[in-house]
Amino acid sequence: MRTDLEHVGKRYGDTRALADVTISLSEEDQVVVLIGPSGGGKSTLLRLLGGLETADEGALSRNGIEFPRTEPELREFRRQNGFLFQAFNLFPHLSALENIVLPLVEVHHWERNAAHARAEEVVERFGMKAHLSKRPAEMSGGQQQRIALARAMAHSPATLLLDEPTSALDPEMKAEVLDLIEDLCRSGQRIVLSTHEMGFARQCADTVVFLSGGRVEECGPAKDVFDHPCSETVRQFLSKVMKW
Amino acid sequence: MWKSAFSYFISLCLLASFCFVLWVVVSHDYHWEAITPYRANLLSGWLTTLWLSTAALVLSIIIGALLTAGQLSGQRASSLLCRIYIEGIRGTPLLTQILIGYYLVANAVGWDSRLGVGIVVLSCFSAAYLAEIFRAGIESIPQSQWLSARAIGFSEAQTYRFVVIPQAVRRILPAAAGQFANLIKDSSLLFVISVQEFTMQAREANANTYATFEAYLPLILGYFILTFPISLLSRHLEDRFHYED
Repeated sequence: MRTDLEHVGKRYGDTRALADVTISLSEEDQVVVLIGPSGGGKSTLLRLLGGLETADEGALSRNGIEFPRTEPELREFRRQNGFLFQAFNLFPHLSALENIVLPLVEVHHWERNAAHARAEEVVERFGMKAHLSKRPAEMSGGQQQRIALARAMAHSPATLLLDEPTSALDPEMKAEVLDLIEDLCRSGQRIVLSTHEMGFARQCADTVVFLSGGRVEECGPAKDVFDHPCSETVRQFLSKVMKW
Repeated sequence: MWKSAFSYFISLCLLASFCFVLWVVVSHDYHWEAITPYRANLLSGWLTTLWLSTAALVLSIIIGALLTAGQLSGQRASSLLCRIYIEGIRGTPLLTQILIGYYLVANAVGWDSRLGVGIVVLSCFSAAYLAEIFRAGIESIPQSQWLSARAIGFSEAQTYRFVVIPQAVRRILPAAAGQFANLIKDSSLLFVISVQEFTMQAREANANTYATFEAYLPLILGYFILTFPISLLSRHLEDRFHYED
């Protein structure tokens, strides 16, 4: 699947979140990692790619077909993807099982029994089967994020979009969730992920996009961006975050 | 230790005050035989209050939900219209609304049912308060929940049905239960258009016998029997919809 962005811009009121973003992601770019300082535009770009927002300027296309712009088309587009947020965003009034089953039944029109079976299969893979009947408030952050990940990928999405999935977790839980994401990367799942975990980005990414001030400072294979950054901004950022 | 002693002292004062009031009420020289002939009237009034309150409660939920939908529709005109209605109703006395509703509006359209008009006016009045309770409940659901629902691919209707309303109900219940109890007690104002409800019957018994306390004291028990189950049901539902910690 090829994704092209040409001169894409996005504003929130007076704040320019993205400006003149032009990148091409090819079929080989299975794992794309967005890095850069906070407020640099990573989440906005992820939301544009996932159809949660529409661009104010420029054009986005997938396999040569322009991204949808009307709400019904966008909804259909979003249904093909899976989204994971920093703060898990599980539905607190539903059990872990219902959090996964509800979208399968109501959005993807699965039979309830098939949805249950699929939910159990996914959570077993994530080592969460014992927690299926629990509500989010009864689970730790890491457990909630694993359930949220199970929900995001239960319908086998074309692209999994992960917005700083480990930022709200302690180091141990962070490692557990990153292990799961690494497994997904290896299994061939197409993933676009924004993160501050440079070790993970270097190890798993096919392509790294560095965003700062809403602009793409650098975009290329992980090895090139981390070992031989062309931009001074990227060099300074990496030297700071890799220092400790 | 001082804090605990102070707390005991306050509790004791409250208990003593309650006992004093109870003693004053109980030790009064009553003449219950004076209102005995009006028992059937009081019972019929109570049943009328029960029926009209139930009907007004259901109707007020429907009108309140419509007003909330109007306010949250995103349409400027409907939002403004609902806002004006809510502020207008909440800022003016129910008594005048009942008088205008029956003697001017219902009269103008040729509707003569005092009970019917009473139910509609009471519903319209209570709906304005319920609409604000519903709106506040819905707006208290964090944006992250809406975002999550959108990301999953829910339509707006599905987001309300599966995500927002189930969570909002838990937050709305205590305030809504209070409003329902108010509605029952407010129905006593329908005496101004001579609806034969509970308070009206007590007023008539008093007017005929001059046994004021004997006529009005049954109202305490009568209204409490109607409002207390609402409080119990609300608590039961709050427990049922409880999902945090």
